[in-house]
Amino acid sequence: MKRYGEHRFAGKLFVVEGIDGSGKSTQLMLLHQWLQAEGYGTVFSEWNSSPLVRDITKRGKKKHMLTPATFCLIHATDFADRMEHNIIPLLKAGAVVLCDRYIYTAFARDVARGMDSKWVRELYGFAVKPTGAFYFRVPLEVAMRRLLDARDGFKFYEAGMDLGLSGDPEVSFRLFQSHIIDEYEKMVPEYDITGVDATLPIEAQQAQMRQLVKTKLAQAKRLRVAP
Amino acid sequence: MRETYGVVLPGMNLTDLTGRLIVIEGTDGVGRTTQINLLKPWLEQQGRAVLVTGMTRSSLAGKGIKQAKEGHTLGRVTLSLFYSTDFADRLENEIVPALRAGFVVLTDRYTYSLMARALVRGIDPAWIRNAYSFALKPDVVFYLRIGVDDLIPRVVFSRGFDYWESGMDLHPSEDMYESFRKYQTDLLKQFDVLAEEYRFEVIDASTDVRAIFDLLRDGVSRVLTAEPLFAASKPQAAEEAAPETAPQLAEASPAASSASEAPPQAPETPAAPQPTPRAAEAHRASAAEEKPGAKVLVNAAEGEPST
Repeated sequence: MKRYGEHRFAGKLFVVEGIDGSGKSTQLMLLHQWLQAEGYGTVFSEWNSSPLVRDITKRGKKKHMLTPATFCLIHATDFADRMEHNIIPLLKAGAVVLCDRYIYTAFARDVARGMDSKWVRELYGFAVKPTGAFYFRVPLEVAMRRLLDARDGFKFYEAGMDLGLSGDPEVSFRLFQSHIIDEYEKMVPEYDITGVDATLPIEAQQAQMRQLVKTKLAQAKRLRVAP
Repeated sequence: MRETYGVVLPGMNLTDLTGRLIVIEGTDGVGRTTQINLLKPWLEQQGRAVLVTGMTRSSLAGKGIKQAKEGHTLGRVTLSLFYSTDFADRLENEIVPALRAGFVVLTDRYTYSLMARALVRGIDPAWIRNAYSFALKPDVVFYLRIGVDDLIPRVVFSRGFDYWESGMDLHPSEDMYESFRKYQTDLLKQFDVLAEEYRFEVIDASTDVRAIFDLLRDGVSRVLTAEPLFAASKPQAAEEAAPETAPQLAEASPAASSASEAPPQAPETPAAPQPTPRAAEAHRASAAEEKPGAKVLVNAAEGEPST
């Protein structure tokens, strides 16, 4: 079993992190467009998308069956399945893999739910170290406004309602997500993550991302001819 | 107070878990379930409330694991984490509430089986110990130990070879027999290492169902009448772990012999204690429902004089 560390695969792995409403998915989509246009074989891998595990997670969330422990472990199971059956084979094949959320999401959420920080990091010890990781830093108020513009309210687990912090979803969301932001900020130096100011214009953030990705793509295969 | 092997899960209160956590461990086909089916009614006859639980039975993940295994597509790390999820769900929703309510919790396998399987598959030992380190330390682990030569006929003549129990994911080029032999040999080696590390009480499971049950019953009686492992001093119960001393200890305690309805046994005949009529009945009832392999073993047992 390989431990967390620099991989020697032909492919590259870039990940985006941040709270909901930070704009990280938009940035990853723009990066994807650019990499494809440049001729790189690029593949998305989303958080919580293992065909094996996804339905169990969905059911657990819907029925509010998940505790901090099972929330943590079912997401780790999902991630392990994607790592073993999707991400590693793609990296071996030389693809550029883009992950919307990675292990840092788990560390932030699980620790905010009271799981032991060292234990969770060890649990994800099988994960491949990304070529580049970006954290989209956004004030909570901005993220909340963006989220509420797009939908009606906050989801149960996203607001940390399972923790009983407050009966009011908005208050609970604020408390829980603030804790998550604190955890992310700790990880930025710990894992050498690139912080991006997510209040800047979208193009400015994307330019910063592309600049860094470009320097790390040196030997990546161009699987297709650029148009 | 109860202890875990490392971390304590959020919200898990380890005080006042007054029940007893009794683990029956052993490899595939060794007869764990048969023994639990005998232990449960025997304990209930004494007025003990019993919860039986086992692996992959959680309401959260149990079904998912079964489905995923049918497709044979699980990776090694994924499988370990899936089991860990299932275990956490049962620990929080079944085991801890039952212990708090004063139940005897009989668990068919525990984290040790999961660790043994993972270790055989090349998982990092430190990683797997960490992944299961939120488990509660049980009051006792009875390990039904068997050699691979005694195990094979039981499996062949009952349910046949199973893909996972034969480790076909590890030896895909072999036939089921060869693969089973290799895989179970490796698994038993891992169990022996764990038995030492976690101080299992080892029970020879190559004998007949009734002899094994008698040993288990004596062991369980002893645990139930002893001072709770996690209330007072800890190392004491581990010292008493030698199974051959079990009959004497059980006899020495008046509560144990009256509770078990068994006539007092002479210490010099510990291998063939008289089973209670009800327990013997339970043997037959359960044997009748059992698969052919188990029945053969019971019949052989009944051919022997029991006194």
